[in-house]
Amino acid sequence: ANSVTIAVEGMTCISCVRTIEQQIAKVNGVHHIKVSLEEKSATIIYDPKVQTPKTLQEAIDDMGFDALLHN
Amino acid sequence: MPKHEFSVDMTCEGCANAITRVLNKLGGVEFNIDLPNKKVCIESEHSSDTLLATLNKTGKAVSYLGPK
Ligand SMILES: [Cu+2]
Ligand SMILES: [Cu+2]
Repeated sequence: ANSVTIAVEGMTCISCVRTIEQQIAKVNGVHHIKVSLEEKSATIIYDPKVQTPKTLQEAIDDMGFDALLHN
Repeated sequence: MPKHEFSVDMTCEGCANAITRVLNKLGGVEFNIDLPNKKVCIESEHSSDTLLATLNKTGKAVSYLGPK
């Protein structure tokens, strides 16, 4: 499994954090997700055969949060 | 344009912003978000099913209240 950290803007409280965690945890190939409100980031452990950093970033972006990949 | 009203379980400004972003991404919509009453009113030519599917992307509990 691979790990990626994605910057996430627009979260204002713990309910935003939970919403993202619950939704992304359901995505195929995602093993684990931890979202930090303080650091404005999401760290995801995923199966690289199913997902890429880009598809995961898009999944968060599709939920209405501004997600950015650090290069 | 037809108007549709939805109940969306929003709890904070972040939720309201997420709704705004997914609706703007869809395009072809004019909308009003009522955060305290957890309601979103959308004026659009898109079907209520399309609008519901779009709102569902936010991961919030959403239901269609009807045309307005
Ligand atoms: Cu929030
Ligand atoms: Cu919220």
